[in-house]
Amino acid sequence: MTEITFTFDGHKITAREGQSLAAALTEAGHRAFRETAKSADRGMFCGMGVCQECLVSVDGMPNLRACMSPVRNGMVVAKQAPFPEFSGAHVESSASKHLSPDVLVIGGGAGGLSAAITAARAGADVVVLDERKVAGGQYYKQSADGSILDAQQQEGAELLAAARASGAEILSGVELWGAFDPLLFLAQQGDTAIVARPKTAIVATGAYERPVMVPGWTLPGVMTTGAAQTLWRSYGTLPGKRIAVCGSGPLNLQVALELARGGADIVRLAERAPHPLKRPFASLKMGAAGASQTAKGVTMELALRRRGIDMRNACELVGVTQSGSELLATFRSAAGVEDTIGVDALCMNSGFEPQNEILRLLGAEMRYDPEMGTLRCHTDDTMHTNVSGLYAVGDCKGLGGAPAARQEGIIAGAHAATATGHGDAYDLFAARRALARHRRFQSCLWALYDIAPRNAATMPDDTLVCRCEELTIGDLRGGLEGRPGHAGTLKRSTRVGMGRCQGRYCGPVAARMVAEATGKPIEDLSFFAPRVPIKPVAISCILAAEEALDGEG
Amino acid sequence: MARADVLVIGGGVTGTLAAITLADAGASVTLIDAGVNAGSDANAGSLHVQMQSRFMRLYPDQVPNVEASLPFYRAAAEEWVRLDAVLGGVELVRNGGLMLAETPDQLAFLEHKADREAAQGLSVEVLDRTALDQIAPWLGPNIIGAELCRDEGKLNPLLANRLLRGRAEAAGVARITGKVDGLALTARGVEATTAEGPLQADQVIVAAAWGAGRLADGFGVSIPTRAEPLHMNITEPGAPSINHLVQHAERSITLKQFGSGQIVIGGGWPATYRGQTQPPLVRPASLLGNVALAAKLAPAISGLKVIRTWAGMNTTIDGASVIGALPGAERIVMAIPGDAGYTLGPMVGQMAASIALGAQTGFDSERFSPVRFAV
Repeated sequence: MTEITFTFDGHKITAREGQSLAAALTEAGHRAFRETAKSADRGMFCGMGVCQECLVSVDGMPNLRACMSPVRNGMVVAKQAPFPEFSGAHVESSASKHLSPDVLVIGGGAGGLSAAITAARAGADVVVLDERKVAGGQYYKQSADGSILDAQQQEGAELLAAARASGAEILSGVELWGAFDPLLFLAQQGDTAIVARPKTAIVATGAYERPVMVPGWTLPGVMTTGAAQTLWRSYGTLPGKRIAVCGSGPLNLQVALELARGGADIVRLAERAPHPLKRPFASLKMGAAGASQTAKGVTMELALRRRGIDMRNACELVGVTQSGSELLATFRSAAGVEDTIGVDALCMNSGFEPQNEILRLLGAEMRYDPEMGTLRCHTDDTMHTNVSGLYAVGDCKGLGGAPAARQEGIIAGAHAATATGHGDAYDLFAARRALARHRRFQSCLWALYDIAPRNAATMPDDTLVCRCEELTIGDLRGGLEGRPGHAGTLKRSTRVGMGRCQGRYCGPVAARMVAEATGKPIEDLSFFAPRVPIKPVAISCILAAEEALDGEG
Repeated sequence: MARADVLVIGGGVTGTLAAITLADAGASVTLIDAGVNAGSDANAGSLHVQMQSRFMRLYPDQVPNVEASLPFYRAAAEEWVRLDAVLGGVELVRNGGLMLAETPDQLAFLEHKADREAAQGLSVEVLDRTALDQIAPWLGPNIIGAELCRDEGKLNPLLANRLLRGRAEAAGVARITGKVDGLALTARGVEATTAEGPLQADQVIVAAAWGAGRLADGFGVSIPTRAEPLHMNITEPGAPSINHLVQHAERSITLKQFGSGQIVIGGGWPATYRGQTQPPLVRPASLLGNVALAAKLAPAISGLKVIRTWAGMNTTIDGASVIGALPGAERIVMAIPGDAGYTLGPMVGQMAASIALGAQTGFDSERFSPVRFAV
C-alpha cells in the first residue's frame, strides 16, 4: 500500500492511499476541522457529505469536505476559517458530459444497484450516479482498497460486480445538485459538468442518520454511528480508542461490535429502548417475521456481552462536554441516575431521515409517517411516483432497510426498463414476496426500538438545533413567539435551516415545533420548501453547467 | 373581531410601516396578511436609487416616470437610514452602488444616465478601471468602468422584517392572518370580505402589492399591478470583500455581500408562478444564467458555493408608486411602491398613512395618485 504524506496546519501526517482526508486526520488524532462564525470548533459528523461540518482548506482552496476528499501526497491542509478569503479564478472552459439514458439511477447503494442490474439486463441503457469514490452505499460500505471485512461487505462487492457486469455505466464521485421538471438533472464529477435528460429516473438516495440532539452534540469527536462505521469499514480507521455508542436501533449494536473487533474499547453502548426481552411478545413476533435476521441480532448481542461491553438499555445520552482532549458524555438511566464517562469519540444514531430532496423538488407525493417522524414518498406497486417517469426505491422513500431496497430496486428497474421498451416486467413475483417479508420484519424490528422523534419540549434551552447557523432550541422557542404559521416563517425570522446543510438536521425539529404550536397536522408542506441546489455547489460548477447547456443549442 | 379605525391589507414592509404610523398617531389598527408568496419576505435587501438598467430595458415607456421619481428614491433610502437607527440596526450599509460596464457603448450609456440622475440630485460619478481597482479589486478583467451612485446601499431584510413586526406589535397593531377577497363601502366605512367573515373599519389601506389592483377594481380605477416572480441565490460566507451593491449596465444582475459574509446574487431573473399556496419555482435557466453571469463579472467568487436559491414576487405598475385615496372611495387608500418595493416601502407606507390621517405627505402626492388609472 502506498504511503502518503501531507500537512495539516503544519503538522506532518502519514496516510494510506485511498483514505479520506477525514479518516487520515482522525487517525492522526485531529478532530477540529473548522472554526465557526461564533468561534466554535467542528469536526466530522455525518461522514457522508451531508452535514457540511468537516470543511477544511486544501492548497489554499477553502470549503472542501474532508469526509468526501481523498488524501493526496504533498497536499497542504489547513483548518477552515469562518470567513475564508475568496479563492476563485475563472476557468475558461470546462469539460461536460451529456447523458440521455433510458434509465438514470441516482444513488449506487442496495436499491440503486439492484435497479441498475435489472434494467440493464432487460436491455435498457442505464447510467448510475453515485457520490462516493466507490459505489455500494451506506449499508454495503465498500473499502477504499478493495479488501473485504465480512459477509455484508462481500454481499455488497458481489452486487457491485454484478452491476458492473450488467452493462450499466456507473459514474462515481458525482455530486448531483439540481433536479428540475421534466427530469433534468445537473451534477458535477470532478471538473466535469454533467447534464442528464433521462427517459426515466430511479431515485435511490437512501437516508442519513438522525442524531441525538443534546447539549454538546456538535463537539468534534461526536459523530454519527454510520460515520464511525465508514471510518472503519472503508478506511481501516478507528474513530478513537475509547468509544461510547448511543441512540436507538440495530446499527449501534452492529457498529459497536465491529469497532470492538477492530481494537476499540467500547466503554458504553446505550440503547434508549428497553431490552427486547422485556417485550417478549413483540420479540417473538420479530423472530417469526425474520428468523435469520433475528438470530443475527441475538448473535451480535451475545458477542458484545462476551467482550464484557457495558450495554445498557433504557439509557440515554443527556449531554456532552469537552475536557482537554477528552469528551465527557453524561448518560441517564430509566431510574433517573446519571453517570459521566470520558471517551475519545461518541457515536450516535437514533433512526434515519430519508434523503428525499430530489423527490420533493420534482413534486413527488409525500405523506407523513408519525411513527418514524419522517415523510414517506407514495409510490404505486411498480415503485413509480405520481411524477411521470420518476421512480423511488429504498430508504429515500421512508425507512425500509437494505434488503427491502434491493427488492424495490428490482421491481423499479424492471418497470423503468419496460417503460422505455425493454423487457416485460412480468416475473416479479419472487421480488414482491421477498419485499413483503422484509417489510413485515422491518415493522416488527422498529417496534422494539425507540426512534420516534423526541418531543422538543423536553430539550434544554441551550441545545443547539441548527448546527450551521448555531441556533439553540431556545432561539427557536423565541421565534415561535412571533406565531409563525409555517416552518418557512420560523426560518426567515430566526435563520434556522439557512446554512450549508440546508436544514437537514434542524428542519424536522422546526417543522414539528411549528406544527405543535399551530395545532396543524404535519404534512409535506410543513417542512422547509425543497430548494435547489440539493447540495452546495461551487459557482464555477454552475458556470460549467451553464456552458454545457448552452452548448446543447 | 372589533371594528378598527383602519384596516391595513398586506403585512410586508409597506403595510407594516403604514400600520405603525397610524397606531403611533393614536388610531386602532388591524393588519391582515395572507402569509403566502410575500414580496418583503423574499426580498434580498438592496437599496436601489439609481435607475436600474433592467427596468429601463424591460419597460422603456416607464422610464420618464422612474426618472421623475429619483428624488423620491433618494428620500426613501434616507428613510431606511432613519429606520436603521430607530429599530436598533438592520445591518444597513450605504457604501454606494456600482453599475458595471464591459464595453465603451455601455460606459457611454452610463455617462448619459449619470448626467440625468445628477440633474435629479443624486450623488453619482462614472469611474474608470483604475479608480475601480481602488474600491473593487475583485472585479473581473472585462470590466472597463462603472457608475458609482453613493446613495445606494444594502440591509438585512430578514432582520428588518423581524424588527418592524416587533415594532408594530409594540405600537398596538393587531395582526391577523387571512386573505381579503373584496372591499365594499358601507354606511359607516369599509367592509372587507374574508373566508373567516367580514372585517369592518373606518378606512382601509391597501398595501397588497400585485394583489392591490384587484381590490381597487370597481372604485373608479383599473390599476395594472403585475406580479413578477423572481429568484435569488445565496452563497456560503467569505471574507468581507464586496462593499457595494453591484449591478450591470446592460444585463440583469444584483450582487452584494451581507454582514454574514454571504453573497447574494439576484437581479430579476424570472421564476415560475405556482399559485397562492406555494412559493414560485426556481427555473434552471435563470439559476444557471444568473450565477454564471456573476462568475464572469467577479471570478474571485467562483470558488464559493451557492447554498440556497429562493423565489419571491416583485410588483410593477407603470414605473411610479401608487399612493392615495381611490377616486370612487375616499376611505380606501392605496400604498403600492411599484418597482423597488423594499426600498420604497417605508416611505410609501408612511405617506399612505399620512393621507388616511388627513395630514401632509411631504411629497407632491398628486404625482402618485391612483387617479391616473381612472376608468
